[in-house]
Amino acid sequence: MSQTPQTFAPVESSDPMVVPKRVAMVRPDTRPTIRRREEKWVMTFPHLIIREVIMFMLVVIGLAVVALLFNAPLEGLANPLETPNPSKAPWYFLGLQELLHYFPPVVAGVVIPGLVVVALVVIPYARINLVAGPLWSGDRKRLTTGITAVTGVLVILFSTFQCWAIVVPSLIVAAAMFLARSEGSGGSFRRFLALVTLPEWVMTWFVLVAAILTIIGTFFRGPGWSLVWPWNMYPPA
Amino acid sequence: MSSLTLSTLTAWVRNSAVYRSIIRHGVADTNRNRSLVIFENLFLHVHPVKVREKTLKFTHTFWLGGITMVATFVLFATGILLMFYYHPSVPQAYRDMKELMFVVDNGVFYRNMHRWAAHLMVLGAMLHMLRVFYHRAYRPPRQFNWVVGVVLLLITLLLSYTGYLLPWDQLAFWGVSVGTNMAKEAPLIGKPLRFLLLGGNIVSENALLRFYVLHCVVLPAVLMLFISVHIWRIRKDGGVQGPPEKDPGEEVEP
Amino acid sequence: MLDETADNLSELTSGEESRRQFLTKLGLGACAVTGLGAALTVADFLEPKVLFEPPTSFRAGTIADFPEGTVRFNQEQKVYIVGGAAGIFAMSAVCTHLGCITRPMSGEPGIACPCHGSKFDLEGNVTHGPAPHPLPWLEVKADAAGNLTVDTSVVIPHGKALKA
Ligand code: HEM
Ligand code: FES
Repeated sequence: MSQTPQTFAPVESSDPMVVPKRVAMVRPDTRPTIRRREEKWVMTFPHLIIREVIMFMLVVIGLAVVALLFNAPLEGLANPLETPNPSKAPWYFLGLQELLHYFPPVVAGVVIPGLVVVALVVIPYARINLVAGPLWSGDRKRLTTGITAVTGVLVILFSTFQCWAIVVPSLIVAAAMFLARSEGSGGSFRRFLALVTLPEWVMTWFVLVAAILTIIGTFFRGPGWSLVWPWNMYPPA
Repeated sequence: MSSLTLSTLTAWVRNSAVYRSIIRHGVADTNRNRSLVIFENLFLHVHPVKVREKTLKFTHTFWLGGITMVATFVLFATGILLMFYYHPSVPQAYRDMKELMFVVDNGVFYRNMHRWAAHLMVLGAMLHMLRVFYHRAYRPPRQFNWVVGVVLLLITLLLSYTGYLLPWDQLAFWGVSVGTNMAKEAPLIGKPLRFLLLGGNIVSENALLRFYVLHCVVLPAVLMLFISVHIWRIRKDGGVQGPPEKDPGEEVEP
Repeated sequence: MLDETADNLSELTSGEESRRQFLTKLGLGACAVTGLGAALTVADFLEPKVLFEPPTSFRAGTIADFPEGTVRFNQEQKVYIVGGAAGIFAMSAVCTHLGCITRPMSGEPGIACPCHGSKFDLEGNVTHGPAPHPLPWLEVKADAAGNLTVDTSVVIPHGKALKA
């Protein structure tokens, strides 16, 4: 694959008895395996297959152990006349349920999840995600105003809804972005921060917000969706 | 004739006409036969015969896609078992849960396994997506596979959501009531969509039956379809990418 | 092959179609109509035609049962029946946020929702979010003997209490 390409002269023939020769067509947009440097290749069997089998067994054993130790919850028979208090969705929806506490249902239940899905789908098609370099490698002034403006809008917007669970992580991420400004200098952590690209900052912000909302919804919400400590979640009957 | 040992027995099986009719290649001790192991087997032939050595490193993918896949297998296996005892009707569904937990041998184990594997699948798909993102493995030529991945994530969430109703306990009923009321808020299509999904205006026996069909037939079928496309595309896109190359010059940008 | 077709096409004057093009369109059109028909019949099939849901109107005691200050929670019908200063009124107990069943608060007068923390006063007005609307009032009728009938399918404006 690293040899110099030979000149290739196609022979055209209309003779149906000629066996066609197969050539590999490598179009510029479909050649992911081609590298400038020759790489080491190994046989799939046994090298990859054995690892897959081990991974399979570890996951199944792990699940079996968990299944032996912990029972899946089952509450009382469904009763449409009485809502349990608190009434919670499965954990991966608790971030959403927490949002429902702050925003009207259209926003929290339809607009925000819809935007998240659209944002995920367009990731590989947006130029910024394909070309972005380290955050501060571009026009620094513009970036400073940009970050300040976006953070400002987010903070003001969510503060009016008193949604501190979004305001605080937004401020933290913005602060970290400015911390990354002093590229080169500082400890290894700062040098690491300096390499993070804008799409990565945005995704990290999203993951942080989603994780915080989910944790609050899971562990810190009790009767009437009030803030409680995890050990007070279900008040003694 | 030599005495009967495990190796003579294996050799005898391997040389039998029946075995040779199923697996045509010899012992996989040459690279030729190792290639044949892969491409003469329906289930293994999604793999290429050779892979780049660095893709075997744990940190290359953290095996997250694979773990999600194993969780899926476990869910299919245990789910089919649970179906042998489950009736999607009110209140029999709830009684079946009790029966599984207290009467059926190993019922509680398989129910637990199904539940925890479902959590693992959701968590695995999310972490897998983050791994792909931070490795920038969504870039061309893998754009489309990323989109297929987003669809897989949505199907995964729908599967666990529809499954959540099936035990017909308080958690199930109210979780699904609140969730479907959320759908009602979507402009125009929200209300009719909810009506169709629930087969009525409230979460009732109709809703249980509909969720059951979605959970046990429709969504698993769609999931398998998209997983097939996903895995096939990994191969067509040149195998797993893993962390971006240190020296950008070594990567051939499209 | 491809070139030949292209040549043939260029011979046609604008507005003319080759037979092949016409038949292709016809075929695709037929497929589209079939697909659409299938989709519509399936959608229609999936829409339930008979529903077995609880009746919407029910008897709720007599006027004398609701002197000023009483709040009764009819759990089965998910309705509060209140004897207010201006008369008797019925009010849905289904939270206007996402449909959980609210309940009277213990300790203070008012109604609270267990799901996302909405609170309402005894007239159904929202005193604390996230519920977007007040709890709707429902029609109450009294016959000559003072027997009350509540119809949960008829929403009436706030403030229209039944004069005792
Ligand atoms: C049911 C859920 C899913 C299953 C079973 C699954 C399975 C897999 C497997 C086995 C791989 C091989 C590499 C690895 O293990 O990382 C892979 C790669 C990939 N997945 Fe998924 N996946 C799922 C969901 C997703 C999601 C949610 C996304 C993103 C939105 C996604 C995007 C990708 C991409 C772009 C690749 C190629 C990565 C590379 O080449 O390095 N997948 N998937
Ligand atoms: S359903 Fe009552 S506050 Fe959300």
